[in-house]
Amino acid sequence: MKTGEKASPGKQGPPVDWHAVRQRLEKARGAIEHAWTPSSAETLRVLMARAQALGRVPDPAETPGEHLDVVEFVLAHERYAVETRHVREVAPLENLTPLPCTPAFVLGIVNLRGEILSVIDIKKFFELPEQGLTDLNRIIVLQSEGMLFGILADAIAGVRRIPAAAIQPSLPTLTGIREAYLLGVTPGRLVILDAERLLTDESMIVQEQVAG
Amino acid sequence: MKWFLDLTTRNKLFAGFGLMIVFLVTVIATAYTGIAAIQASQKSLYQKDFANAQDLMFLRSEQNGVRVALLNMMLLARQSDRDIWQQDIRQRSQLIAETTQRLLERNRHDARLSGRLEALGTVQAAFAQTRDGQLIPLIHANRTDEARALAAGIQEERYRRMRAIAQELGDAAVERARGAVAESERRTAQTVRLFIGVGIVAMALGLTMVLFLNRIIAAPLRAIADSAGRVAAGDLTADIPVDDRRDEVGLLVTAFRRMLENLRRTTHEIHEGVNVLSSSSSEILATTTQVASGAAETATAVSETTATVEEVKQTAQLASQKARYVSDSAQKASQVSQSGRRSVDEAIQGMNRIQEQMESIAGSIVGLSEQSQAIGEIIATVNDLAEQSNLLAVNAAIEAAKAGEQGKGFAVVAQEVKSLAEQSRQATGQVRAILGDIQKATSAAVLATEQGNRAVEAGVRQTGETGEAIRLLAESINEAAQAATQIAASSQQQMVGMDQVAQAMENIRLASVQNVAGTRQAEVAAQGLHELGVRLKQLTAQYTI
Repeated sequence: MKTGEKASPGKQGPPVDWHAVRQRLEKARGAIEHAWTPSSAETLRVLMARAQALGRVPDPAETPGEHLDVVEFVLAHERYAVETRHVREVAPLENLTPLPCTPAFVLGIVNLRGEILSVIDIKKFFELPEQGLTDLNRIIVLQSEGMLFGILADAIAGVRRIPAAAIQPSLPTLTGIREAYLLGVTPGRLVILDAERLLTDESMIVQEQVAG
Repeated sequence: MKWFLDLTTRNKLFAGFGLMIVFLVTVIATAYTGIAAIQASQKSLYQKDFANAQDLMFLRSEQNGVRVALLNMMLLARQSDRDIWQQDIRQRSQLIAETTQRLLERNRHDARLSGRLEALGTVQAAFAQTRDGQLIPLIHANRTDEARALAAGIQEERYRRMRAIAQELGDAAVERARGAVAESERRTAQTVRLFIGVGIVAMALGLTMVLFLNRIIAAPLRAIADSAGRVAAGDLTADIPVDDRRDEVGLLVTAFRRMLENLRRTTHEIHEGVNVLSSSSSEILATTTQVASGAAETATAVSETTATVEEVKQTAQLASQKARYVSDSAQKASQVSQSGRRSVDEAIQGMNRIQEQMESIAGSIVGLSEQSQAIGEIIATVNDLAEQSNLLAVNAAIEAAKAGEQGKGFAVVAQEVKSLAEQSRQATGQVRAILGDIQKATSAAVLATEQGNRAVEAGVRQTGETGEAIRLLAESINEAAQAATQIAASSQQQMVGMDQVAQAMENIRLASVQNVAGTRQAEVAAQGLHELGVRLKQLTAQYTI
């Protein structure tokens, strides 16, 4: 046909290989259908990985001495940790209700399984400089005998065990209110907060009277 | 002296010659006076002294005659003869009386002379009385002796006295005449001396005038003549001194100076003009040479053009044949364009079908995109579940840590749960990324189909335009066929015209040959002009300015 001849030089050089296209489509459909039954090669690869993981020599199990169990979290692109014994649980931040007539570090209150918690932004509490917007979608619930509140975190990294010997005292450059709430810093630049001080701090108790 | 120099030459000449004329007039007057005096002297000599002397001689002669007659009467005896002699005596006596009277009359003013003449007259009267009263009657009476005595006596004495007086008077007259002649000679000599003196003075004055006029007229003229000679020899640098004389010489000097200045200026200008002429003629010569070579080139070019015209003629013949061929070809092309139009219509239908296909492809791809969006929602849910599992694992780890040693195994399980949750999160991230790629690919596919659709629309439009173009092409080809026929006819006329052009080119060639010859002549003429310029330059170079 004349028109076919006329059209082809205008487009890209080689004509479409419809047969190859059809084969590729068939293959993709097959892949989707067999997604839940991994192939033998896939199974073999997974089993191999597990064998290697199991065959690895475990870490020197537990170095003798004192340990600290901490919950590590990320806040404003820095890693912080609090001792596990002061942490009741972690939860996603949902249904935050701002509370009027409170200091700036009190963001508001949340309902966690029928329990009302106040939420503290420790960046504001420590008067750290704002470093842009972050996720702030996790709460770490701190609890002591007479105190219960949540602090905000961007993400929860997990629970770690840190040898007490590895903890260095606070950096001399850190001054002011931050220094007062620090337990120390690990070589991995993990800042360990003193949750006990936070829980017993007087300034956390807000007694605000609003006139009339 | 200045005033004289300022006189005109005419006045100078008038002055010089006037002086000479004055001298001449003086000389003439002197001469006239002298000659008149001499004339008067001679006149008096002739009219008075000479006449007196003559009259006295006549008187003596007549008295002699009378005496002779008396003696004859005495000698003759006949009466008739005596009467003849008596008659003669009477006549002579009358003459004597008249002469005496005339003398008296002439010398009335001379007292001494008139006195002597009175005495003569008295003696004569006495002689005549005696003769007529006594002697003649005695003779007639023939008393000859007595008559003879008387005649020899008193009459003889009277006669002698008369003769003496006459002699004396005649001598006196001669003396006086001699004196008058001497006076006349003296006066003549005086006049001659005067002439000589005046002549010498006039000559001296004339010589002085000549020298003077020479000095004031001829010398400046000679100086100007010298300058003119130098000018004639080509030396225009001669300097004429300023002369404020107001006569013709002064005017001539001034005019000559002005003439020389003008000549100098004119020669200078001529010199420059000749230079210009010379250079211009050189340029003309060069130009003419160029023109000549140009004309020769033109002649060559015309020859070439003639040959070219011949070729063009053949080309026109060829063009005529080609035009017929083109006409035939145009007929065939018209038929081909008809079939082309049909093909284009079919192409338009095919294009429309392609458009429909493209639209269905676009719908399928959009459906695919929506389905992948549903997958994305499912994946978001899975991701949320992974997050919650992660938190649950952390809480479990916290609880395990609180349980101390008893919770250690639980902590391991919590760790595994956390790891699985992390893997789920990573998998959902990968699925989300793949979904993003699928979204991009489907968008690109939709865009491509849209573009394809547009391309097909453009193709339809272009095919329509192509059909229209082919139709126009067919019309054009028909027109071209007609035009080719006309071209064939035109090229026939063109061939005739080319023949005429060839003829005209031949004429042009002849004209260009003549043009070349004419240019050669012009070149020769320019050469002559150039040589003339050079010669003029040499001529003007002779004049030193």
